Amino acid sequence: MEQYLILFKNDFDDFVERLAKIQKLVAPVKRGSKSFAFDEVTAAEDVSLNYIPTILPPKKYFMPQNETIVEYEKKQNKWEAILYSEAITLFGVHTCDLAGIQCLNLVFSDRPNDVHYIIRKKRILIIGLECNDYCDEYATCGLMDNHNANGGYDLLMTELEDRFVIHVNTVDGEELMGKLAMVKPADAESMTMLNKMRNKKREVFQPEIDIERKELKPLFEESFQAEVWDSIHEKCLSCGNCTNVCPTCYCYDVEDEIDLDFNKGKMVRKWDSCQSRPFAMISGGENFRPERGGRQRHRYMRKFNYPFEKYNRYFCTGCGRCSRTCMAKINLKETIETLIEEKK
Amino acid sequence: MKRKTVAFFDFTCCEGCQLQVANFGEELLDILAAIDVVMFREVMSEKSDEYDVAIIEGSITTPHDVERIKEIRETATTVIALGSCASIGGINGMKNSFKLEDVQSYVYGEDGKNYFETIPTMAVHQVVDVDYFVHGCPIYPPEFVKILKYALQGLPYTVKDEAVCVECKLNENECMYEKGLTCLGPITKAGCNSWCINYGNICYGCRGMVKETTKNASIDVIKKYDIPMDWIMGKFDMYNKATESEEKK
Ligand code: SF4
Ligand code: SF4
Ligand code: SF4
Ligand code: SF4
Ligand code: SF4
Repeated sequence: MEQYLILFKNDFDDFVERLAKIQKLVAPVKRGSKSFAFDEVTAAEDVSLNYIPTILPPKKYFMPQNETIVEYEKKQNKWEAILYSEAITLFGVHTCDLAGIQCLNLVFSDRPNDVHYIIRKKRILIIGLECNDYCDEYATCGLMDNHNANGGYDLLMTELEDRFVIHVNTVDGEELMGKLAMVKPADAESMTMLNKMRNKKREVFQPEIDIERKELKPLFEESFQAEVWDSIHEKCLSCGNCTNVCPTCYCYDVEDEIDLDFNKGKMVRKWDSCQSRPFAMISGGENFRPERGGRQRHRYMRKFNYPFEKYNRYFCTGCGRCSRTCMAKINLKETIETLIEEKK
Repeated sequence: MKRKTVAFFDFTCCEGCQLQVANFGEELLDILAAIDVVMFREVMSEKSDEYDVAIIEGSITTPHDVERIKEIRETATTVIALGSCASIGGINGMKNSFKLEDVQSYVYGEDGKNYFETIPTMAVHQVVDVDYFVHGCPIYPPEFVKILKYALQGLPYTVKDEAVCVECKLNENECMYEKGLTCLGPITKAGCNSWCINYGNICYGCRGMVKETTKNASIDVIKKYDIPMDWIMGKFDMYNKATESEEKK
């Protein structure tokens, strides 16, 4: 199964068209003046191959923003779990986002596993797209070791001059390429080009912050009283953007939406944000995290401290979305740098 | 469940929020199946002095308004404030930035001003208890239906105390700040599904502010983006003047 294929750029239009005919094809497209979003495409001209991380990560296909999970009829005492999935090819997923999907897979397959997520995931085929250079200055994928793919895809494409080299990682990926009937096995020349590019990448991507990856966990573990949380407290607006755009944030709320006949209704799961004030509020009005600084600290701990204890893995992919989206310019790189300074 | 009788009332406003309800289309039929409308000036001529639910549009701006709203409160078991004028004072609150006498002579002229008594603009809850708030200028129809369902079941409804940005991000809009524009989304209460931004406009803050208005942080952002302070204060005041100093609902 493991093999390398080549696709010449001249054939890219044809490639996209054929992919779109097989099943729903989703790829990065331009959204607004400077942003990108994953959306359905049918032709190569819709696709932005050169894109910075999309506004929302591909997690929206695995756990949609609003997802009906139960439908009911009260009088009939009828309750039905809604298990919906759609066959999708997710094209052009950067390696940082592949890591994000891997994190979510861990969480949702942990017991008790989340059938809604798992059923969707089973029918999503992932074609990754490697970055040969940095997207922008917000990325920390070098530090987090996500500038290269560490699995989590069916096919991975690497752009090299006049062609793409495609790594086939799963049987599903192999079958899809078989159906397209247009890609050939990679020749020695293509493999040399690939190796050359990977070598160059070693120089381009360096840890963006002066710390070893394994030191991040102890750094955060000891940072509960750090002053940086006070200064973040002053700056943060609690808008929730940083968590909604994060590829590894998965918190949700479930809302009951009843019809006007007050009998039929549905339960809808909606993304929630730990940055909103009511998130940690309980009955009686007590709030476990009433302070904005404390809420931000919690967000960071959920990336660099707690998941490491539970899954032995950092839940920050280094995609830079949280810093990119923050109008208060709270920046993940600067936060970590300040913590390092404080510790000295 | 016995259908509740519902009456609509308007105070100082443009009646645009009632118009929103009248314009619901098919959904209105479902609503009318669930309630018994006994008074709704924009769509019917019948009147009634008895009702379970009073839906109030508009702000309280005259001594007569105060008397009238108190009577309504005594009659109704449930009071719903409809639209920003009723829920936060809204546009009418701009009056509170000026001296009352100046406002009176500006509007009615030196001769007319003594015939019309006026008081500072108040939201409905600043005079009587309000059970449900439907924010927005105009109201966002799906939210009105949602709140009506809560009211008819007698369940408490609280507008989630989070920013419009939350909904805006879920709709995957490009942020206005990214486009070099400014937007009141981060300090405005969600619930409208980021209505304006979805259509390419900025948020004007029509739903009122989140509880924890982060003043220092907001000023910081304004400075960072080189936005003139009086411009933003003008935007704040446009909807929020009447309730600026109180605990937000
Ligand atoms: S995006 Fe920025 S301002 Fe908004 S909650 Fe996150 S850190 Fe705070
Ligand atoms: S914390 Fe920020 S940089 Fe890390 S994965 Fe989340 S959005 Fe990306
Ligand atoms: S963060 Fe790294 S892997 Fe992700 S898009 Fe940017 S350069 Fe690519
Ligand atoms: S456009 Fe406005 S509401 Fe949307 S994220 Fe940006 S600041 Fe928030
Ligand atoms: S986006 Fe802002 S101005 Fe527009 S309806 Fe919502 S709260 Fe009002």
